[in-house]
Order: sequence, then C-alpha cells, then structure tokens
Amino acid sequence: MQIPIMAHLVLGYPTLPESIRTAELYIAAGCAILELQIPFSHPTADGPVITRACQVAVEEQGITVANCLEAIAGLTSRFPQQEIIVMSYLNRIYTYGADRFREKMERMGIRHLIVPDLPVDSPVAKALHQPGQLQLLPVLAANVSDARLQQLLAAGHDFFYLMSDFKITGSTFSLNPRLKHIAQTIKATQANARVGIGFGISTAEQIHQVLEVADCAIIGSALIRAQEENRLNRYFNELLLETTKST
Amino acid sequence: MISTTSTYRQDILSSTGHFGPYGGTYVPEVLLPGLQDIAAAYDHLKTDPDFLDEFHTALREFDGRPTPLTPLPRLSAEIGGAQIFLKNEGLNHTGAHKINHCIGQAILAKRLGKTRIIAETGAGQHGYATAAVCARFGLDCTVYMGRIDYERQRPNVYWMELLGAKVVPVEDGSQTLNDAVIAAFKDWVEHPESYYLLGSAVGPHPYPAMNTFFQKIVGEETRQQCLDQIGRTPDYVMACVGGGSNAMGMFFEFLDDEQVQLIGVEAGGRGTQPGEHAAKVRQGVKGIFEGYHSYFLQDGDGNIASTHSVSAGLDYCGISPILAHLADEGRVQFATASDETALAAVQRLALAEGIIPALESAHAFAHAFELAANLTPDQVIVVNASGRGEKDLFITMRHFQPESLRKVGELLLKG
Repeated sequence: MQIPIMAHLVLGYPTLPESIRTAELYIAAGCAILELQIPFSHPTADGPVITRACQVAVEEQGITVANCLEAIAGLTSRFPQQEIIVMSYLNRIYTYGADRFREKMERMGIRHLIVPDLPVDSPVAKALHQPGQLQLLPVLAANVSDARLQQLLAAGHDFFYLMSDFKITGSTFSLNPRLKHIAQTIKATQANARVGIGFGISTAEQIHQVLEVADCAIIGSALIRAQEENRLNRYFNELLLETTKST
Repeated sequence: MISTTSTYRQDILSSTGHFGPYGGTYVPEVLLPGLQDIAAAYDHLKTDPDFLDEFHTALREFDGRPTPLTPLPRLSAEIGGAQIFLKNEGLNHTGAHKINHCIGQAILAKRLGKTRIIAETGAGQHGYATAAVCARFGLDCTVYMGRIDYERQRPNVYWMELLGAKVVPVEDGSQTLNDAVIAAFKDWVEHPESYYLLGSAVGPHPYPAMNTFFQKIVGEETRQQCLDQIGRTPDYVMACVGGGSNAMGMFFEFLDDEQVQLIGVEAGGRGTQPGEHAAKVRQGVKGIFEGYHSYFLQDGDGNIASTHSVSAGLDYCGISPILAHLADEGRVQFATASDETALAAVQRLALAEGIIPALESAHAFAHAFELAANLTPDQVIVVNASGRGEKDLFITMRHFQPESLRKVGELLLKG
C-alpha cells in the first residue's frame, strides 16, 4: 500500500550507510515518495535540525556530491518502482556542473529535482528543467501571486511543493489558509499536476489536515529529530499507523 | 583589459542585476515578491527628485556629510614616495560609511510602507548604523550578528541596544557575518512583510546596485575634493574589500577615469591556507550563494569554506558581483594585507597623523604604504578610511597593550 507521504532524509547523516538504511526503511514502509537531500555546508532555507544534519554529513562525514550520486544510483537500481526526488542547494550543483548533474539524474531515472535557492525560471534553471525528462519542483509559499502560478504552470511544471506557512523547515506547524486556493488553482489548470505540502509536519493529525488540500505530506525535520534521539523506528511506525488507521 | 568603449557607471546604474556573468537573484521563491517590490521602488526612486532631496538632506543633517579628504604629509614624507590622502569616512555618524546606504534604504523602506527592519552585521558597523537610522525614522529593528562577532565587537552591540534595536547572536556555522546573513534571510522568510536592509554590495538584485548607488557619494565627494585640493584626479584609489560596499562607493565615480588605478585590498588573514584568510579574488572560485553569482571561498565540491580576518567586517566568504566583474575586466586590481600588517598600519597612522582607522580600513592603508614607497612624490594615492577605530578597542588593545586590557577587565569585574 502506498502512503501519501514524501519522507525526507539528508544523505550522509549520520553516516552514508545509515542514511541508505533509513531510505530502505521508508521505502519498505510504503512511503509514496522519497526525498534525498544532498548535504550542503550552509543550507540557507533550512531550520536548525536539517542544518545540524548537513553539518554532520559535510564536516564529520566529508560527503561529496559524487558520494551522493553513487548512493542515489544504488537506490534507484535496487528499487526501480520507488519514486525518488533529489534535493540540493544550487552551489553544489553549479560546482558539479548543471548539465553533467542533469545527465546523471536522467540516467538514474530521477524525474524531479528540488533546488530551494533557485527560482525555476532563472537562467541557470534552464539546464535543470527539461519537461518530459527532469523537472524542477517549484517551492512556493502563500504569497505566490495567481499570475506567477499561471506562469509556472505554463512552463510545464507538474509537481508543486507548498510551504505550509511562512516558516523555515522544522518550525511549529500551521497551515496557511491561502494554500487551499493555490492547490485548487493548480488542479483546475492542470488536472494531473501534483501538490505536496511540507515544513513543520510531525503528527498524523497534521498529515490529515494537509491531505485535505494536497496529494502528499512532506516530512523532514521531525524524522531527523527522532533519529537524533534514537527513536526513529518507533516514531515513524506510530506515525504511519496513526496516518493509515484513520484514512 | 580595460574596454575602451566602457561606461561602467551607466551599465551599473541601468543594470537589472547582472554584471557580466555575475549577480542575479538566486533566492527561495517566497522571497521573490519582496525583492521585486524593493527593486521596483529602487528603479523608480533613483531618479525621483523628492527622494534624492530627502536622501541628501539626511546625509547632510543627520550623518554629517561631506567628509573631508585629508592629506597625510608626515606619513608621506616618512615613506618617501607618493603623496597619500585619506578620505575620512570614519567621521560619518556612527563611525563608518555604512550609514550612507542605511539612510537610503530606510527612506525607501518608509516609502514602501514598511515598519520593521531586519539587518545582518559583521563588525557591527552596519548594524549600528541601521539601528541609528531606524531610531531616527521610527522603524522597529532586529539585527543578526554571528556569536563570535557579537563577542569581539561588544561595544557596537551595546550601542545598537541603546538605540532600541534587538540584537540576536547567531549560533550556527562559523558564527560570523556569513551566518548572520543566513539568519537574516530566514527571518525574512518568516516575516515577508518586513524590509531586509542588507548591508553590503552583495546579495540578490537590487542590493549590489542599490547599495552602490547610495554609497557612490563617497567617490563623488573624493573626486571633486581631489580636483579642488590638488587640481587633478589621483593616480591610485584604494579601499578594503569585505563584501565591497565601501570599495564600490569609493570606486564608482572613478570607474570611467581610465587614468585612475583602482585597487581593492582583501583580508590576507594569517596565511593562504583555507580558513586562514578572506581573499576571494585571489583564492575564491565562481559560485552561487546567498542570492548571487560571484567569487566565493569554497572547498572544491561546492561547500562554502570558513574564513578568517582580524577585522570582522572583512571576514566574509563572498564578494560583490560588481567587483567580481570589474576584477575579470581588469578595471579593479586586487591585493591582500595580513592581520599583522593591518594592525601595524593602525599604529602607524595613529602616531604619524593622529587618525585611528578601523581594522578593516587599515588593510587598505597597509597596502598603500607598501605601494607608496615604490612611487614618486608627484604621484597621489587616495585611501578610503571606511571607518574609525574606536569599535576595535578590545582587539587592538589586546595586541598593543595586553597588560592594560587585563587591568581594565579586573577593574570592571570589581565594579
């Protein structure tokens, strides 16, 4: 059974083999989508939990982009049916080479890429967004205008990441009332487009609240926090149980 | 090489945020509407006579402009080479050039109907100026400062708080300017209705061009003062470079004077190893970070490297995209000065001319003294003293009079 959750993890946290085992846990549990973040020294849009995880991966583990690509390739070949989204800050992709990075993604069958500090229509973005192959996933907040939304839909984006509110990752959860309108606008314009909502989600109740508006709930910091406290398995299984029990 | 058809000034003023391959707007989508509002306001107001009148009136009445161009005859004679002049931006209200762009941006923020200001600071000069301007214009003010800078620039923290600002020490990363910038951006994501008063010629569009526009008064005054005082433009103009706001302010008016050589001086720190300096043009590589495309100090795999400088204001990983372009074009040359030579320059300027420069500015003087010795007395060097040195009390005292510092500490503890 597929559970409408996008489970996020930082590659190389706490070590590369352990992050791969965490990915396997999420896949085995039936998470619809796996989001794999390439760690960066300065994750400018992330809260303290993901920032700490990135620091461990970069400074203690010395994880390179090449290490990450190898790990992703391993997962895509072992789990070809699993939908995997890759997330990276722009400087790591830019330094690796945007064209080279896109080719790698396409070869591994990755269809969607999240680059939080890259407006999806900026010049550099063109190398990473090829509708029908690799697509950039716009990360939007409630202040996105209707005109801007139409512009993004016209550019062929078919998956949208909405920030639950004006927050950084791992904050207290609240659902901005305008997200409903944004999700409806997206669906009305492009029936096949998908919408995910993330930032601050940590309970089954919040997941249900999000699923009333979106196709999937994106969970990141809460999972890493549980992992920091050595209670990931229990927390994750309870969360899934609660989520599926009442849907 | 210098392009013969260049009109650098026009290009920068009319730019939409791209300087050669550099600049741009690389931020999360949530920040785009706010940046677009600021860019549109700047685009409109930079030619609006009412706005410019209000800006220049505040520079005169509140800040105390113009600042003098001071000849340094004793020091020049001692060195025995070129004549050195000092543009004394340390005489600005709050002690540095930073207040020029703070006044400009605060008036712009008011016109946009903003009531809350967010800022980052390194040495504390930008934060101090922002706090003063916010008090003056009745704006709520929050300043982010890396924990290390917060400790080493304690006097400025105190002044900011006395001016009513909330100063937040940032515990993330290397706890310096870079981390303060990131914390300020995160605050802006959480409060997109606030105004982010970014304090250098870096960041996404329109900040590099806009802060250059508000700072160009420095070079405009200097150029006219040179014509009045020595009858010609100088041979060399120098400024220290952290992000690049004082350098762009000083250089802008001279960009199309091909006979004037422009030299930016970066922090050489303690050595050339990664983490020991902040020399972006010498050792940085192209990257995209904190909203803009430029040279950054990095590890080779796309991670941002840590930096070091004795001066908090130069202790930063990136450089203005405008300066990156001017470096590629060969229009601005770059040099470095070490922690040691900067400290020595503070002392030398103090003893010979009665002026104590900020440690940041002392980097430019250190290089100027070196260069002057190889020039002739008919040649003229102008150095931007971007700030005054009082804020560095505890750092320079530890270096020059460690015993006095210890005594001050004991006295204070006794109460």
